[in-house]
Amino acid sequence: MATQHAEHDIVVEGLTKRFGSLEAVKDVSFAVRRGEVFGILGPNGAGKTTALECIEGLQEPTAGKTRVLGIDTAAEPWKAKERIGVQLQASAYFDYLKLREILELFGRLYAKRLSPAELLEKVGLAEKIETPVVKLSGGQQHRFAIAAALVNDPEVIFLDEPTTGLDPQARRNLWEFIQRIHGEGRTVVLTTHYMEEAQFLCQRVAIMDRGRIVALDTPERLIKGLPVPYKVRIKLAEAQPPELFKGLEAVMNVQAEADGALTLASSDAARTLPALMAWSNANGRRIDHLEVVRGNLEDVFLTITGRGLRD
Amino acid sequence: MLLYLVAANLKMLFRNRQSIFWALLFPLIFVVVFGLFNLDETPTTKVLVVDYSRDQLSKSLVKSLDDIETLKMEEAADEAKARQDLRDGERRFLLILPQGLGEDVAAKRPVKITLIYDESSAVSAVIIGLVRRFVDGANLELADAQPLLNLESQGILSRQTGYFDFLLPGFIGLGVMTYSIIGLASNLAVWREKKIFKRLLATPLRIQTFFAAVIVSFLVLSLIQAAIILVSGMLLFDAHFYGNYFYLLVFVVFGNLVFLNLGFIVGAFAKTVSAASGLGNVVSLPMMFLSGTFFPTDTLPAFLRWLVQYLPLSPLLEGMRGIATDARPLWDFPQEMAILGVWIIVTAFIAVKVFKFR
Repeated sequence: MATQHAEHDIVVEGLTKRFGSLEAVKDVSFAVRRGEVFGILGPNGAGKTTALECIEGLQEPTAGKTRVLGIDTAAEPWKAKERIGVQLQASAYFDYLKLREILELFGRLYAKRLSPAELLEKVGLAEKIETPVVKLSGGQQHRFAIAAALVNDPEVIFLDEPTTGLDPQARRNLWEFIQRIHGEGRTVVLTTHYMEEAQFLCQRVAIMDRGRIVALDTPERLIKGLPVPYKVRIKLAEAQPPELFKGLEAVMNVQAEADGALTLASSDAARTLPALMAWSNANGRRIDHLEVVRGNLEDVFLTITGRGLRD
Repeated sequence: MLLYLVAANLKMLFRNRQSIFWALLFPLIFVVVFGLFNLDETPTTKVLVVDYSRDQLSKSLVKSLDDIETLKMEEAADEAKARQDLRDGERRFLLILPQGLGEDVAAKRPVKITLIYDESSAVSAVIIGLVRRFVDGANLELADAQPLLNLESQGILSRQTGYFDFLLPGFIGLGVMTYSIIGLASNLAVWREKKIFKRLLATPLRIQTFFAAVIVSFLVLSLIQAAIILVSGMLLFDAHFYGNYFYLLVFVVFGNLVFLNLGFIVGAFAKTVSAASGLGNVVSLPMMFLSGTFFPTDTLPAFLRWLVQYLPLSPLLEGMRGIATDARPLWDFPQEMAILGVWIIVTAFIAVKVFKFR
């Protein structure tokens, strides 16, 4: 067993967590490889945070095993906590302490620690070292939470919705820091309900819905596995009936849009596009507008659950 | 580790202006306000006089009465008006000296002096006694009689203590109690709301260490608080402290532990800061009034007095007052220490049971 998971930093087997009659996490199993950025994507209330907190040793699982770095986090949470970093969703820090003081205080709680200056450097807050935490902007507070999670130089870092509540620019900015931390050789596990975030940051994504993992793979393969991985939108100079394109290479169905455009659902854009061009040339029909949209994780979620991520 | 946490905690408490106001300034305001009232001066009673003789004897009589410390004689314009003042409650006493007082006394004719008083006045008996004694003395003197029985009253000034000296330990108890219960409970509510507890739970820190640090830092702050109250009372308003400071400290720490446990219990039930201060007041206000912070509990109904002595603030105040004004040693208060000890154990047990870290 141990050798089988030698390259795995996290192994979760049959994790179940019940609160009274509510089953927040149902029989969840997955493994996270060393040095991987692993994402848990799902809508609010899917059970992402509960699952994460069970793995971190913050909550006791009702059933199942959670091992981090080979340590059973339910049996020996102290041992695991020494070696992991945790950023909690919407958690704040002591209002009246400066960043340096908070990082020093948290550093004291661990055997191994990084200096406040070094930590703040990692998240671009070096010049704020003597600032109280309340004086930081929203994005800076999120970055500080990540710095605080790195205080013990952890091998594995857990980020629970690290960019929730941030504007798109601040979010992109934070992604860079997360990539940099991953570049230091740390395993990163994050939860998110932003499909762009999962797609951009994660090597593998577990899609979670109503307490269960409904899909788990690389974003690439999850999208490839969609029945309709591509959508080809065309607008013709003269409108044509949708049926005309149904027989085109790799086209699965055609939908007429309200603005007169047509959307061809394609299983392989590389085959549909040449066929479309050939038809246009052969019949002398000019295509005014052509757009190929790749399917995304949102479509994956929609296909599996029949609902959107924000529903 | 513990010391580091305590230092960080104290730093936070001192940087929180609101918390520091309640801890240090608020009790000081109590001390100053109460210190400014001259609480120990006996009030003087005004007595109206209608003097119909206006001779030497009547005048010296009025003057002698006026010389008595607690009496202030006021010449009334006329008797009818003076009687009306009495009925209206404007004045409580009226002395009427008849006409020809000096002549009648010289002729050894008995004279009737009338003292009209308000029966509802609490000091009537005292004033009547005072005037009667004065009249008796005057009689003896006028009769040239030698008094055979002389009462020599010797006042022994044991220790000079006044109402303010009674109040000062009350303020210490009040300050320690409100800050420990309300201050701690609000702090816990803030930390819970901000998920700071949960964040700490994600570190290898033991919960017990964290709580120990919180308790130690609140203890330190409350000792500073007690010292400020005591010193300001003594320096600004000449309050008296005759006892041992260490004994006082022991009592303050004992009481404080009970209140901190109560703070944890309140903090366990209050989910928001406003709920914490509200619930904290519900716990501390009745104690403040019942346990004799401002007045001795002797005048409470017997049942309530019996009950009140077991509230944690009561033995604390009892002990601190005994130490401060009577210089009694710690071992003079086995019952008080026992009551506080039981409270500490019981509240600690409940606090551990009900307080959840997340």
